[in-house]
Formats: sequence, C-alpha cells, structure tokens
Amino acid sequence: MKKEIPLFIVFITGLFMAVQFFVPHAKSEWVYEYMLDWTIIIGVFALALGIWSFVRVATNKIRRKSENWQYSIVALAGLFGMIIFGLGFWGGVESYMFRNFFNFVMVPLHATMFSLLAFFIASAAFRAFRAHSLLASVLLLSAIIIMIRFNPFLGPLSEPIDSLASWILNFPNMAAKRAIVIGIGLGMVATALKVILGIERTYLGGD
Amino acid sequence: MRKSTMIVTLVVVLLFIASWIFKTMTAPEVDSTFDALTQGFLVTFAAFLTLAIMSFLYQDNPFYKFAEHLYVGVSAAYAMTLGFWSTLVGNLFPRVSETLCGWFQVEFSGQHDWQFLIPPILGILLLMRLSPKGGWISRWALAFIVGTTAGLNLPRFLRSDFIEQISGTFLPLLVDWEGFGHFFSNLSLSASGQFVAILSNFVIVSGVICGLIYFFFSKEHKGAFGSASRYGIWILMITFGASFGYTVMGRISLLVGRLTFLMDDWLGIISG
Amino acid sequence: MRMKLFLFVLLALFMTAVVVAQEDTEIDSVVTVSPPAPVANLVGVDTPNDNGHSISLSWELSPDDATLGGTVTKYVIMRSESADGPFIVRDTVAAGMTKKADNGVKEIEAEDYFARNTDFYYKLVALAGDLKSESEVFGPVRGVGQWFNTGKWSVVAAVGLFTLVTLFFIRRAKSGAKLYIRPLAGIDAVDEAIGRATEMGKPILYVLGLGTASDIATIASFTILSRVAKKVAEYQTSILVPCYDPIVMTIAQETVKTSYYDAGRPDAYNEDDVFFVTNQQFAYVGAVNGLMIREKPATNFYLGKFYAESLIMAETGSASGAIQIAGTDEVTQIPFFVVACDYTLIGEELYAASAYLGREPVLLGTLKGQDYGKAMVIASILIGIGAALVGWTGYVDLFYVGP
Repeated sequence: MKKEIPLFIVFITGLFMAVQFFVPHAKSEWVYEYMLDWTIIIGVFALALGIWSFVRVATNKIRRKSENWQYSIVALAGLFGMIIFGLGFWGGVESYMFRNFFNFVMVPLHATMFSLLAFFIASAAFRAFRAHSLLASVLLLSAIIIMIRFNPFLGPLSEPIDSLASWILNFPNMAAKRAIVIGIGLGMVATALKVILGIERTYLGGD
Repeated sequence: MRKSTMIVTLVVVLLFIASWIFKTMTAPEVDSTFDALTQGFLVTFAAFLTLAIMSFLYQDNPFYKFAEHLYVGVSAAYAMTLGFWSTLVGNLFPRVSETLCGWFQVEFSGQHDWQFLIPPILGILLLMRLSPKGGWISRWALAFIVGTTAGLNLPRFLRSDFIEQISGTFLPLLVDWEGFGHFFSNLSLSASGQFVAILSNFVIVSGVICGLIYFFFSKEHKGAFGSASRYGIWILMITFGASFGYTVMGRISLLVGRLTFLMDDWLGIISG
Repeated sequence: MRMKLFLFVLLALFMTAVVVAQEDTEIDSVVTVSPPAPVANLVGVDTPNDNGHSISLSWELSPDDATLGGTVTKYVIMRSESADGPFIVRDTVAAGMTKKADNGVKEIEAEDYFARNTDFYYKLVALAGDLKSESEVFGPVRGVGQWFNTGKWSVVAAVGLFTLVTLFFIRRAKSGAKLYIRPLAGIDAVDEAIGRATEMGKPILYVLGLGTASDIATIASFTILSRVAKKVAEYQTSILVPCYDPIVMTIAQETVKTSYYDAGRPDAYNEDDVFFVTNQQFAYVGAVNGLMIREKPATNFYLGKFYAESLIMAETGSASGAIQIAGTDEVTQIPFFVVACDYTLIGEELYAASAYLGREPVLLGTLKGQDYGKAMVIASILIGIGAALVGWTGYVDLFYVGP
C-alpha cells in the first residue's frame, strides 16, 4: 500500500491535468487554478524541510569541527537573523532590519555574482578558441562569424559577413532549434506518460 | 596563521574601518549620529561583500567563504520568509481561518474555502518525513505535485513544442520557379533573390529532418542514415556556435557599457 | 484721410466676408444634423470552445461608417439583462470592425465579471461626433461553457497516437524482443567518471539544476541520479547533491537512499550528502562553486534545468580539473555546456539517458516509441512540403491548434 496509493494519486492528478487541457469549461478552469495554487502552498511547507536540512548540515559541521566549520556559524547567523526579523511580529518583511539585510547584503551579493558572469564568459570564449575537433571548429567558426557581426566596438563590418551572420541566425539556427525542440517535446511527453502510468517511479524512492 | 594572511587581514580590517569612518562622516540626510554610523557601516559592508565575492576570481579565500556562507544563509531565509508572508498569510489564511487572519492582520475573504484545507494537509504530510517512521506518507504530497505537473506538461508540450513546430516546417522548396536564369540572377545572402529563398527553405527543411535523425536512438547511424545524422550534428554545432557568439557579445556589450560609463561619465577620459 | 477711408472699407469688406462665411457653415451643419444609419443584423452567439464567460457579436457596418466614407467613427457595445434595459456599456470598437467578443472574467467578485448561463440582450450604438443611432436589440443569448475544445483535435490525435506507439513498444520490449540502442558518448563516460572518482578518493558532485520537481528535465535527472548513486555505492565512493528546491531535495534523498539500499550498502548512505542550499539562483551558484573548489570532486554532473548559472558552474568545475558531464533541455544553455564540459547530453538525449543507464525493457520501449514519433514527424514534414508545392491547404489545416 505504501507505493500503490502514491501511484494512484499520480495517475488521477496526472490524468485530470492532461484532460483539463482539452476542457475549456469554467468548472475545469477552477479546478486547474485550485490545483496550481495548492502546489504553491505545499511548496512553502517544503521550504521548511529545506531549512531543516540546511540547519542540520550546518550544525553537524560545527559539532564535528569539520573543515571550514566556522563559516557554518556565519551561515546560521544569516539564516536565523533573517528569519527572526522577517517572521517577527514587529513589522515582518517591512521591518528596518529585514530591509537592511535585503538591501545591503542580498542585493550587492546578487549583483556581484551576476557580474562575475562576464568574466566567466570571457574564459569560456578563450576555451572555445582552443577547439580540438572538427565539430568544435564548426562551432568556433560559427561563433566567430556572429561575434564579428555583433562586436560592440566597431559595429557591423563588411556586408558579406553581416549578411552571412544574419542568415545563420535566421535559417540553420532556426532549423536546429526546431529539431531540438521537437525532440524535447517528444521526450517530455514520453517521460510525462511514464510518470502518469507509473512506469517511471524513481521519484517515489524505495520501500 | 601565515604572515601574509595576517597582513592581508589587517589591511582589510583597516580599510573597512577607514571606509566606515569616511562613510559615516559623509552620510547624507541623517537625524542622529547613530543613524550615520549605521549607514556608514551598511554601505561599507556592502562594498566589502562585493569585493569578497570578486576575490573568488583570484582564488578561494576566507573573505569569499564568509560572503558565500552569509549569502546562502540570508537568501534561504529570505525565500522562506517571503513564502510565509505572500503565500500562507496572503493567499491561504484569508481563505481558511478568520482567527489566523486576525493574528496576522490580513483581511478575511468572507467565506471558508474547504478546498484550501487540502494543501496544508498535504504540506503537513510532507513534513512527516522528519519523523523516522512517517517518511512513507510524505510521498502522497510528492505524488500530488509530480502527478499534477506531469499531466500539465503532457498535452501542453505536444502543442507548443511539437505540432506548431512541425507545421512551421511545411515550406515550399521551389519558390516561384521561373527557370535557371532567374534562379541564379542574385546570389547574395542578404538579397531577397530566388536562390536565397530556395536555399534558406532547403536548409530549414533538411536541418530539421537531419537534426531529428541525429536524435534517433534505436537505429545505427551508418550509411545514408549516418551521413544525414552527421549533417544534423553539423547544423546543431553551427547553431550552438551562433548562440554562444551572440550571448558572449551581448555580455561584453554590457561590460563595455559599464566601462564607457566609468571612463566617460565618471572620469571624463574618453570624450571629456 | 484717404488712407483711413481705404482701411475702413477694407475692414468692412472683411467683416462682411466673415459673416457670410459663418452663415455658410451654419447652413452646412443644418444639412448633416440627421443621425447616422444604425448597424444592421446584430447577432450574438455563445463563443465556441471557451469557459462560457463570453458572447461573440457580429453585425453589418452602418452605411455611414467612416471606412465607407461616412461619419461614424466608432460603435459602442451595450448589454442588458432584459430587452427593455437598462443597458450598460461593455466595450467600444473602431469603425470598420464587424465583430467583437464580449468577454468577462469568471470570478464573481471581480469588476469585469461575466455571468455564465444568463440571458443577455445586446445593442450597438453607432457614434458620429455627438450624433448617434442605436441598432435593434438582439437577444436573448447566453454564454455556455464547453466540455471539449474542438480546436484541439490535432493535439488529441497526437497524444493518442504517441501513447499507443509507446505502449506498443513497451509491450514488445517486455515480451523479450531485443532492442538496439546506439552508443551515447556522455552515457558511456559515466562508468569511467565514477571509476576515476574512486581511484582518486574524491567525491562525485551531482547538480540537479534550478528546476522544480515539476520539470520533466528534473524528473529525468532523478532517474539518472538513481543509476549514478547505485554505482557510487557499489564502487564505495561518495556523492554530493546540493539542491536548489526543497521538494527536489526530498525526492533526491529518497532516490539516493533507495539506490544505496539496492546496492546492498544502506549503512553507507549519509543524509547530509543530499542537502538543501538555497533557492536563490546566484547564492546557489556561489555555494556550489565553493564546494567545487574546496571538496575538489573528481566528476561533476550537471543534469536538469539550467539558466545563466550554467556557465559559472561549468567554468569553475573545468578549472578545478573535474571530468564534467552535462545535459539540459534549456536550448540557450546547451552551447555553454558544449564548450565547458567534456560530455554534453543535448536536449532529448537527457531524457533518453535514464533508459541507457537502466537498460530496463520498459524504458527502452519508450525510447523506441520516441524514435517512431520522430519518424512520423519527418514523414509529415515531407508530406507537408509536397502539400506546399501543390497548394494543398487542407493538409496544413490538419495541424491547426486552436486557442
């Protein structure tokens, strides 16, 4: 029974949501919207599980004095500081401390991590330039043509390269993306089908 | 602790304090000394975290570890707090309980929506994982989420990713055929000549078909089938290159924009 | 003196001209004072294939419509619950339009609520400046929700056909028929990658991406994780799974635990190895980067849904010297993985990977089903090209999907 009931729930909810796509009636829309709302609410409960795992791993590290355990204290301090100020009944997310945590810790860290992307993309471009196979060279050549066309320093250069770049983006690019997307569509449908029919049940774990 | 580490730490601490003092003295529009001190600290702290993250590009170091752990802790709690206020207090409580609405000072919707008792029940079932014996019952909630979304994806992807893409590939391979003379009259890729129109349609059709052939799993890629598959992977690689080049240039444009701002607007070096 | 007289005469002439001109315009406006002709044949029907909160209206233009050279610039759609009114304004459309749906929302408390299964009466008011004329009242008409969207027949057919093909091949595979599958470099490398980690005594890092349990890519990744974790347990090495989504973490814990049980080493499973980090994109990346630099995993798997962070992780992993195997269905991120990783599973290959690793007949059967799906796609494209050549539009219509 431990496995049958979940599989039954998957089958019923999956079948309902699949059929709902073809039923425009307001009643079916209502149930659809309810179910989406429900998954969001369940998600919030799941966050508690996440926080639990977080605290568990951090405290275990501190207790066992494993490498870099000191930083786990920082992580826990950040976590509990934010929770206390955020959930506290003296203002919640509008409170002075919560806003400061957000504006002076989260925002700059987020912006900086995002800006690192520019550096990593430079190193990735460098890596691409050391193409070591025929296929990698094809990728590189196409990348170079597009980069020449869209370089921010000089703007468009010569007519043949510009038109070749536009043509690559409009035609071979479109064809390959279409092939990938059709393949993905089939794969997704197959996987969804396996899940609904209970063939794919890894996510339920063992007994 | 190594001597170099101590020196670096000392320098960082001194710089931090110097910046704190400077930012406190130059803090705009504050009512009290305490406010100025707080403002000075917060701005300096934000700058410190920024540099700490940047330092990862050189190598892993204690400052990065500090910033990283703080970031992770704060952001995990942020998501939880936001979920609590916007989803539970904002969406769930007004539909199920007048008492809870009173506690959190939100408006009650006026009627008890019994349907909204189900998600908290499933949520609590999910939390049963934390008890050593109740783990199995948490799967009911997982089953609900996975089933719902699998069903959601099944027909919807067949529509957007599949049928519409197929019908978009029904292209005429002989566009307004008027003989070979007309066909070869304009060969430039940017021109709207017949050669280009036919070539482009041919590339799309053959690209889609051979791209799909590349994704065949249960047939050996040999002979004509293998050639088609190789042509498919070539088209895929051209696309990946194009997409890569395009993104690289997009990001570099952003960087150039920031540098131009620094040089021009701030330091006045470029145009003056 | 003469000059004065001249100016006086000029002024007098001018005044006369102005008065005459004014009289002219007065006469003109008297001519057009009759209201414009109303629209004719106003008809309302229940909007097909909808939730019932809408009525589709159509009419014939007023002969005085601006697009026909007349003075009517717009029409006002009015609705009432009885033929005698009172009528309320529902919408305004520009001259030249001959149809419009009167839509509303289903939420009864909303301002734009539109009652289902309720009789309504409509009239259209043609406006020409301040002048207007009303059409005859049409009604009653009611909005009814449909239980099947006839615009989606093509999707029903596709789902049905694909399900049948897949079930057929699963049946065949179960009955013992041998199915060939071609080698996939990324999959063949999995064993080698785990072996390498064992030799080096380093852990394996498995990143499930930013997807939630609802993303098919993540579900496919769970299956691969279960195979990888089983091998990890057999080889007696360790696996780290930092998670972005708490539900994904829960499922990943179940998956890895089961794999350890299946491999006969339940004691080796450590729940702290599959852990939640945070569900903020860049904080997650920061933590995973730190993990890669500090734990120096021998092999990194990135399988699932990835966005802008793909490159940051793959580049850091590559710099740390790990073997990297990636796979995603996020088309924009595939190029970065191709460049920075040793092996990349492109799109559909990610979904196929679980069948490859498991070699269970049922999974292989669905793979065969997918291939037949692709063959059908190719065939229908070829027919479509033929249809385009001979101008057979009926074939293209078969692929129409309604809203």
